[in-house]
Amino acid sequence: MTESNVAENEFLTSSGYEVAPAYAPDDLERLGWSHEGDVGVPGEEPYTRGFTPEGYRDEIWEIEMYAGFGSAEDANKRYRYLIEQGSTGGVSMALDLPTQIGLDSDDEMALDEVGQAGVALSSFADVERVFDGIPLDKAGRVFTTGNCIGPIASAWFFALAEKQGTPTSSFTLQIQNDPIKEYIARGTQFLPIEASVRLAVDMFEHMREEAPNWLPISVSGSHMKQAGGTTVQEAAFTICNAIAYVETMLERGMRIDDFGAAIELHFCTEMDFFEEVAKYRAVRKVWAQLVRERFGGTTAEAQHFRLHAATSGRPLTAQQPLNNISRITLQILAQILGGCEQTRTASFDEALGIPTEVAARTSIRANQIVAHETGVPYTVDPLGGSYYVESLTKQMEETIWSVVADVDSRGGAVEAAKDGYFQEKLAEGAYRESMAVERKEQIVVGVNAFTVDEDAEIATFEHDDVAATRQIERLASLRTERDTAAVEASLERLRGVCSTNENVMPAVLECVKAYATTGEICSVWRDVFGDYVSETLRR
Amino acid sequence: MIRIVVSKVGLDGHDRGAKVVAKAFRDAGMEVIYTGLRRNADELAEIVLQEDADVLGLSILSGAVMPLTKRVVEALRARELDDVVLVVGGIVSPKLAEELRAVGVDGAFGPGASLEEVVEFTRERVREKRAVS
Repeated sequence: MTESNVAENEFLTSSGYEVAPAYAPDDLERLGWSHEGDVGVPGEEPYTRGFTPEGYRDEIWEIEMYAGFGSAEDANKRYRYLIEQGSTGGVSMALDLPTQIGLDSDDEMALDEVGQAGVALSSFADVERVFDGIPLDKAGRVFTTGNCIGPIASAWFFALAEKQGTPTSSFTLQIQNDPIKEYIARGTQFLPIEASVRLAVDMFEHMREEAPNWLPISVSGSHMKQAGGTTVQEAAFTICNAIAYVETMLERGMRIDDFGAAIELHFCTEMDFFEEVAKYRAVRKVWAQLVRERFGGTTAEAQHFRLHAATSGRPLTAQQPLNNISRITLQILAQILGGCEQTRTASFDEALGIPTEVAARTSIRANQIVAHETGVPYTVDPLGGSYYVESLTKQMEETIWSVVADVDSRGGAVEAAKDGYFQEKLAEGAYRESMAVERKEQIVVGVNAFTVDEDAEIATFEHDDVAATRQIERLASLRTERDTAAVEASLERLRGVCSTNENVMPAVLECVKAYATTGEICSVWRDVFGDYVSETLRR
Repeated sequence: MIRIVVSKVGLDGHDRGAKVVAKAFRDAGMEVIYTGLRRNADELAEIVLQEDADVLGLSILSGAVMPLTKRVVEALRARELDDVVLVVGGIVSPKLAEELRAVGVDGAFGPGASLEEVVEFTRERVREKRAVS
């Protein structure tokens, strides 16, 4: 495996594959590539070229934006705006850090961070406010992270659908629900990893039964890449984590033919254009093969996982921020040439703070320009058959298989994460890349080359402190107004269920409906499962 | 030998920057103590005191850079650790960097800041503070 971003040869992909001056049929022959075995026809095995014969001719990709900040009212206003502007991906809801870590807005640890990186949802009452005037069936799709609080996030929407009188089949809820990568790269873990995996799989299993059109998991590579992973590590580590979840589900007696289509793998697109295209092609091929050969899948549907791509915030620079519009457009093009059906797009001012409205709109427009002005969507997998792209696809596929074997030999992704296997590789990569940029071995326009003395001051979103205060006050009144006995009874029931093998979801739903807070539910988990122990002082 | 505590203060778990900077300080010959995630201001000031550190480096990638930093400044002052060099990195715009310096931060660095710049700045500021005291 090539791990270096930088080496003697200056023509390397970001994952370290050497790039030849030109490619010819013998390059493919040397790799043992065959048209039939490696690409075939769009819509057919091995699915390198995509899962449908017509691709974007049937329908262009979904365009989501990610937003959410401050209080429920702020988020509500912003979502209404995005929907009016043509964001077709429904509502993507960022949660603030306290909520993601299972802390209420009035927790001492939450000071200063209420509503800062997303919306604060301390109880179901906050969720009701976010969706005030936004019927779920009209939003169409709701996405949120809820990784280590997956069951709670899921319960909010079962409860909200019931309250709005909307059947769960009339909209799609998607929850990222991928705790393993939190321990590796994203950092919202608060329970021991095994407990988090159990809760995630409980949520998955329950959602498959109760709302089979919802999307119960999005195994995410983007955070690992942004933490320092190369493109191929992003692909390989994500697949390893996804294997861990799927194998837990299979152990519970679930069948891949029943749930394979509900699995989403999520990646981010950065600047190494052809490598990104090749990554998406390789991932489709590898996962479909795992479904057939390792998980016992027998249907085409089980192999057709959801491939979700987001343009990455990491290559976006604070310097000369308008340059980021070009970066974003190239990233969109790469993920579309890679055949992604669901996409999310960053905003050009992201390196400076939470995106402004004009920046969010410009990103939606960039997608629409690629979709409607370029002709790119007219044919499926337009780079299929390129000697170069096929070579890269094949090489990445081989690397992914070797990482999977390595992680298997360490006892799987959960054990490897506990040992710091992934974390160490990401930290090395991050340092290597920072040094490469510093030494100008890697050029970042506007940062270490083509700089200007003064940057235009661009407007950044101003956060409203009043919102945090209002949120805390509201939580205080909720605590006095709700039926305390019902809250306590629901929490006690949850506590009992947690120490058995029973699925926690019905109990969590009862807690949420009784307006038990996010922090109260998570405290039960902390009591039963124990706390996550952060790294101790380390030299 | 310069002793430096590198920390993630607050709740955000993005530790890429903190780890990279920690390694850069180490490669520059400093002794680095990395605290891991989710430290609060008082814990940090205690660590700085006990470790007899010259420098405290904070990495914050949430929107709470200013309030979190202020708490750390207060916690350091409460322990009469005014001579500790305080460096902040994260989502810091040029305007915010100025505001941070106004509340007592020695150096504030936003996205794309060079490691060499951060290391040199820190070394220089420690030298200045040692010369004064």
